[in-house]
Amino acid sequence: MASTAALGARIRRDGFLYVLLAPALAYFILFHILPMAGMRIAFEDFRLFGKSAFVGLKHFRTLFSSPGFATVIANTLILSTMKIVLFFPLPIVFALMVNEVRSSVLRKFVQSVAYLPHFLSWVVIAGVWIAFLSPTAGGANELRRFLGLPVLDYMTSKEHIRWVLFASETWRSIGWDSIIYLAALIRISPSLYESADMDGANALQKMRFITLPELVPTMVTVFILNLGFFMNAGFDQVFNMMNDSVISRVDILDTFVYRVGLVNMQYSLSTAASLFKGVIGLVLILSTHGMAKRVTGKGLW
Amino acid sequence: MGTRIRSPLGDRLLRLAIVLVLLGISAAVLVPLLNIVALSLSDTKRVSELRGLDVLPKGFSLIVYKILAANPYFIRSILNSVFITLTGTTINLIVTAMAAYALTRPSLPGRRFFMLLVIVVMVFEPGIVPEYLVVKKIGLMGSLWSVIFYKAVNVYYLIILMRFFEEVPPSLVEAARVDGAGHWTVFRRVMLPLSKSAMATLGLFYGVMHWNEYFRASVYITDPLKYPLQLILRQFVVLDDTSALIGAGTIYSYDEAARLSYAALKAGTIVVAILPVLMLYPLILRYYTRGVMEGGVKE
Repeated sequence: MASTAALGARIRRDGFLYVLLAPALAYFILFHILPMAGMRIAFEDFRLFGKSAFVGLKHFRTLFSSPGFATVIANTLILSTMKIVLFFPLPIVFALMVNEVRSSVLRKFVQSVAYLPHFLSWVVIAGVWIAFLSPTAGGANELRRFLGLPVLDYMTSKEHIRWVLFASETWRSIGWDSIIYLAALIRISPSLYESADMDGANALQKMRFITLPELVPTMVTVFILNLGFFMNAGFDQVFNMMNDSVISRVDILDTFVYRVGLVNMQYSLSTAASLFKGVIGLVLILSTHGMAKRVTGKGLW
Repeated sequence: MGTRIRSPLGDRLLRLAIVLVLLGISAAVLVPLLNIVALSLSDTKRVSELRGLDVLPKGFSLIVYKILAANPYFIRSILNSVFITLTGTTINLIVTAMAAYALTRPSLPGRRFFMLLVIVVMVFEPGIVPEYLVVKKIGLMGSLWSVIFYKAVNVYYLIILMRFFEEVPPSLVEAARVDGAGHWTVFRRVMLPLSKSAMATLGLFYGVMHWNEYFRASVYITDPLKYPLQLILRQFVVLDDTSALIGAGTIYSYDEAARLSYAALKAGTIVVAILPVLMLYPLILRYYTRGVMEGGVKE
């Protein structure tokens, strides 16, 4: 009796919290939990009307035996490696360089310019880059002409398209991704530099023996957390920058899922690929989160 | 501090090199963008003179923008984008803030369960087809609300706001509660006023996300009159498909239009798509950047 009264009091006191939570809860259920439950069609032959038949692992077998899927996996891994491993030092170098600039006007200018592309959609970036790389009047080919090199159609070149993706990713993110390092640089105690000055250290030595070691925890966190998103490889970028001539080099899991599912309407096969990606992603995120938490005390949540 | 030691020559040369590299990077960001602006503003007769590294227009003409402004599909797409951005951001802020408040109350019954739900949402993506089938089932297909609701809450932003709410001293909340204030009053009169800058930051996060959204619209919306601007841009600039833009044929209503290069029209569309972001950019630099600096959370 007493506990019922206590429960009643508690609900009167805190029940309103459920009202506050309700819209978000409804959203999570509708747009996340229901679709998760809907992923069972990966094990069925999906039919829009009537009951879908259970077919076990049929779609996964189709997926893994198709040569196209192997290419897609390879592309995903290659592009992710370029964007996560190869790109990784660039924002660090950028932050170190910005940190060395004495004039605050120049520093603010460089930062404001470099952060800007992060806020542009990949549609806009693709538009700008397609124009810039155009073989007719694009800036890149103007530069090539200036250097005496032949005109190159980057967007349709199988050898160059992955580097176009790498370059445009760098263009978009080098500034923005450096912020976290700049924030860490600000926290370094000036007394460290002062005593280094006393010892007659030059700028490079200070960078090597003071600044870089202080950045290591941030580097570790960023690298580990980025690994958690290894299977993503940048859908919006690829979706807007690929074309038929280069699709074999840049088709990634997410573009495959889109094409098979929403263009070819093979719902079950597409969902099988999503489930495959989702499970690997889940394992990656959970393990990288755990690693980050152990190493630096900071995880995703 | 006192007497400043003059840097050695090596250091000064290094700094000079760094400044040159940074200016080079800035140019690499700006030149392609300014070239697009120049292309859109060039005189139609001289537009072919414009080369890829030029940052100033050849002559001056607003014909591109006049033609775009006369196109009903284009104008509608801007209105659609503005509607999606304003409505979406408002809904995002209200729903995210209410949830963040509830989830940060230690007295919320079942709090651990709800937090688990948030984490499940964060770590597992169901993929586009199952989402598409749900949107179809609940009757949002073809409606702008599908584009607004598919991301009513961004879990990463929710967690950022929760961290912020957690830092509000519990004594402030307790004081109000002891005075008999209900949760709604505490939320409205204590939490929100203390979180203005966090909410502004989040509003910018969400606003940019909505303005730049094109993919869900391309999946859920079929009527070109309901397209957001980014989708028109994608069809026209990325896919080279002019059907959505030309539609009514108004594009040829100007004499000069026949001579006009598509490249210039594409450039004008890109500029219009960037413009709101540019206008918000000073605010973004102030709030958004500081938020990331302090939170250390990526997107």
